Amino acid sequence: MSLLRNIVGGLRSLFRKEQVSQELDEELNGFLEMAAEEKMKRGMSRHDAVRAVRLERGNLEVAKEIVHAAGWESFVETCWQDLRHGQRVLRKSPGFAVVAVLTLALGIGATTAIFSVVNAVLLRPLAMEDPSHVVFVQETWRDIFPGVAVGNFVDLKRQSTSFAELCASNDASFNLEARELPERVDGEIATANYFTTFGVQPIAGRVFTAEEDKPGQPKVVVISERLWRTKLHSDPSIVGQPIRVNGLPTTVLGVMPRSFDPLLSSSDLWVPAAFSAEQLADHDNHYLNVMARLKQGTSQAQAQSELNVIAQWLRKQYPIDDQDRGFRLQPLATALLGDQRLGLRMMLAAVGVLLLIACANIANLQLARSRTRQKEIAMRAALGASPNRIVRQLLAENVVLGLAGGVVGVLLAYWAVAWIIAHGPAEMPRLDQSRIDASTLAFACAVALLSSFLFGLAPALRSASTHLSEVFKSSSGISGGRRDRVRSLLVVVEVSLALILMAGAGLLIRSALLVSHLDPGFDTSNVVVGRVGLPDPAYHDPALARQTFEQMITATAALPGVKSVAVVSRAPLAGGGSSNGLLAEGKPFDMANLVNSQLQIISPSYLSTARVPLKAGRDFTPQDTRDRSLVTIVNETLARTMWPGENPIGKRFACCEAGPKGRMDPVWHEVVGLVADVRAWGLDRQVQPEFYVPLAQMPASAWDWIGRTMDLVVRTRGGAVPIHELQSTVASVAPAVPIYRLSTMQQKISSTLERSHFDTFLLAIFAGTALLLSSVGIYGVLSYMVAQRTRDIGIRMALGASQAQIVWDVLGFGVRLAGIGLALGLAAAMAATRLLSSLLYGVRPTDAATFAAVSFILLAVALIASYFPARRATRVDPLVALRYE
Amino acid sequence: MADKPSDLVQGTLDMLILKTLALEPMHGYGIAVRLEQMSKGVFRLNAGSLFVAFQRLQRAGLIRSEWKATENSRRAKYYVLTDQGRKRLNSETREWGRQVAAIARILEAS
Repeated sequence: MSLLRNIVGGLRSLFRKEQVSQELDEELNGFLEMAAEEKMKRGMSRHDAVRAVRLERGNLEVAKEIVHAAGWESFVETCWQDLRHGQRVLRKSPGFAVVAVLTLALGIGATTAIFSVVNAVLLRPLAMEDPSHVVFVQETWRDIFPGVAVGNFVDLKRQSTSFAELCASNDASFNLEARELPERVDGEIATANYFTTFGVQPIAGRVFTAEEDKPGQPKVVVISERLWRTKLHSDPSIVGQPIRVNGLPTTVLGVMPRSFDPLLSSSDLWVPAAFSAEQLADHDNHYLNVMARLKQGTSQAQAQSELNVIAQWLRKQYPIDDQDRGFRLQPLATALLGDQRLGLRMMLAAVGVLLLIACANIANLQLARSRTRQKEIAMRAALGASPNRIVRQLLAENVVLGLAGGVVGVLLAYWAVAWIIAHGPAEMPRLDQSRIDASTLAFACAVALLSSFLFGLAPALRSASTHLSEVFKSSSGISGGRRDRVRSLLVVVEVSLALILMAGAGLLIRSALLVSHLDPGFDTSNVVVGRVGLPDPAYHDPALARQTFEQMITATAALPGVKSVAVVSRAPLAGGGSSNGLLAEGKPFDMANLVNSQLQIISPSYLSTARVPLKAGRDFTPQDTRDRSLVTIVNETLARTMWPGENPIGKRFACCEAGPKGRMDPVWHEVVGLVADVRAWGLDRQVQPEFYVPLAQMPASAWDWIGRTMDLVVRTRGGAVPIHELQSTVASVAPAVPIYRLSTMQQKISSTLERSHFDTFLLAIFAGTALLLSSVGIYGVLSYMVAQRTRDIGIRMALGASQAQIVWDVLGFGVRLAGIGLALGLAAAMAATRLLSSLLYGVRPTDAATFAAVSFILLAVALIASYFPARRATRVDPLVALRYE
Repeated sequence: MADKPSDLVQGTLDMLILKTLALEPMHGYGIAVRLEQMSKGVFRLNAGSLFVAFQRLQRAGLIRSEWKATENSRRAKYYVLTDQGRKRLNSETREWGRQVAAIARILEAS
């Protein structure tokens, strides 16, 4: 209460200053009058009485000052005066102010922009109830982390006690017929408690019940607010209505809120998983996303140790399927966003370094100014300003700079964030939610104030400790050695920080160049790829599914401008894939002998259409059908892994299906061809062992593995991509089935590189800015030095020094500063770039060529920055210089 | 120099002002005179410290002020003790008594 009254009282005297001071005047005058009257009654003259009161009670003007200074508001007032004075001082040197504000704005703007991205992507909690209790469960197998098998999920659910809820889902996509053309939408199959695990309620209708999450129930679906808005015209009566999903009428049960995206996968619909009895007993296929909510009071470590016990039981229970298997538990946010951390932290560190350089630059400018302002400050001190007050006033000036830089910086950040959202990598979750909001503004404000203290405190302290006598004694500018050392040190720091950024950017650029020259392993020009998924009940029959794809190939091949057409279960760079354990003939059946390899199911025309070079043996032919012997083609990596140093042609391995005698009955595939490695996972990724199986020989169950979905690969004769023709051709063969993710192979390649190019581009910009700022720093220090030493230079020239000697002196000093900074920066960069190693391809983090190149650039820029002051030094006229005195 | 007005013990001025106002509302000069009279001229207060104390007590909510006419029909700011101020005066008086007694015991002991 009294605090509030104190604040109100203070505010009143701040904002109604006139009235408050009038009241005090009147009160004090009354006091004087009453005291004087008392004395006049005792016979004093008025004049004497007033004088006597003053003697007794003190000067009333002084009393007024004392009362005024007693409240907190007077502190605020002097601060305000300081700020206003600071602003006036800065207005008087606009050149300095503009350079400082812009430098600072650059630093604050970049920092704020990157922070708002980090805030949106990493820091903001996931949109669900109490996200800190939600965990993500994966299996562990050797050194990979696959999804959870349905059977394992069932056992986990039955045996675990650590979780309030444990649910599972799997990514899936669906053909939706809502508008003119059928569309493909991403969604999930989910267990009934999926929504309660995240604690989110639908905005309309309800979610599905455990009863509806059983096989044989009527088709139901829960949709996203986005799907409802964009594809269903925000129909207010949508709940209870049927929509056509995968060719079947499906009842909409509910609509989830816009923010509901628990796995950051932009799912638009959720259908019940409705696992069949066969699936519930399956411990062999590991693909489920499993999420759980920890019980109140149960720690993640406790839950993990319980999972370890269950895993042990599973290994005993299912020695083949669950051999070597364990469980891994992570906070959901870590599981979803962990990949983004390194890159974003690197960016944040880079902008932090940039900000430091900016601050060092301004500190440098301030030091230069403080020298010319020495007399002003000495005068204030002589007039009675305490050191405290002088520091405060100088700091206030810097705070004005900091705030101005902050305002311009936030404007810059607004623009930068918009640019980042527009050009940033599409795969970065939540990037589009980056914005300048209250928390980023608070951040920018804190950065501005912190940096103004950072660059302001040293010069201010230095100025305040100036001894009066020294200042007035030295009438002309003879360089103060100590101060120059501080300034030189700042430049050295700037240069070394800039070098760290340049080294990082240089490494990323070199890595990107190397990647762009990599051979993808096939001819990517004039290839168009699109995905086609056949809905399950309608195309359940494997023969029908195969014939449909074969008809699609024939129909597409007849289009004008098309050279050849093929289908493949996963086109290169399309992501995903299915991995299989292969057992080479002659090796005993044991998990340790299995070679993990990617399966590609292809039509016979695929390798020739994609132009994957055949290294040995033969390509598939239409005669390779199920009633002939099973054949396969392997890539070089698989051949090398399985039969090192041997010719793989004619060798056999078992995979993919079990023979009539049960699980342990191997089905052999004979290698008939060897092809070059294709960089199917991205140009900068390791090539995996890979084997190809002809469409006509694939086991029936494989249609389920690939979700009846294949990539249509079309080689054209060049020219425009025939999007509409492809869409109508596919629809003519399979009504209501869309072709989606339609793009050229080259577009797919550049989109996989989007992320690394974005990182590289940003870091290069930061490094360039850092280089610019530190060269300005070198220029500033040398110019100042030349100006200070005009007289020395004049004397030396008068004594016969040549212009070249003078130039060498100045250049030498600049290069020496840069050299020391370079050496320190190199040492620091060696340590810092190691953090980048996972972002680099084919370049070691201490790559000598890169370090040499950036060092060279830095030295060259330092030389240029030193050259201008050096030239100015040679123009010194000895006569003029000496007349200065 | 016993006749020279002495400085107040640190922190007691507020208590004395409250005590003065406990009898009746009073203006600044009245308070000063009353303090001087009651202390038989020992405490003569400087206007500066007096008015700073008024501002402090007012912000703490222990007194409030109002403009009124004096008996000589002059306008003056009168200070009034609030309920909170009265409570504070009581507690401080008790505390003061305890401390004075304690100090006296220490001084007499030697």
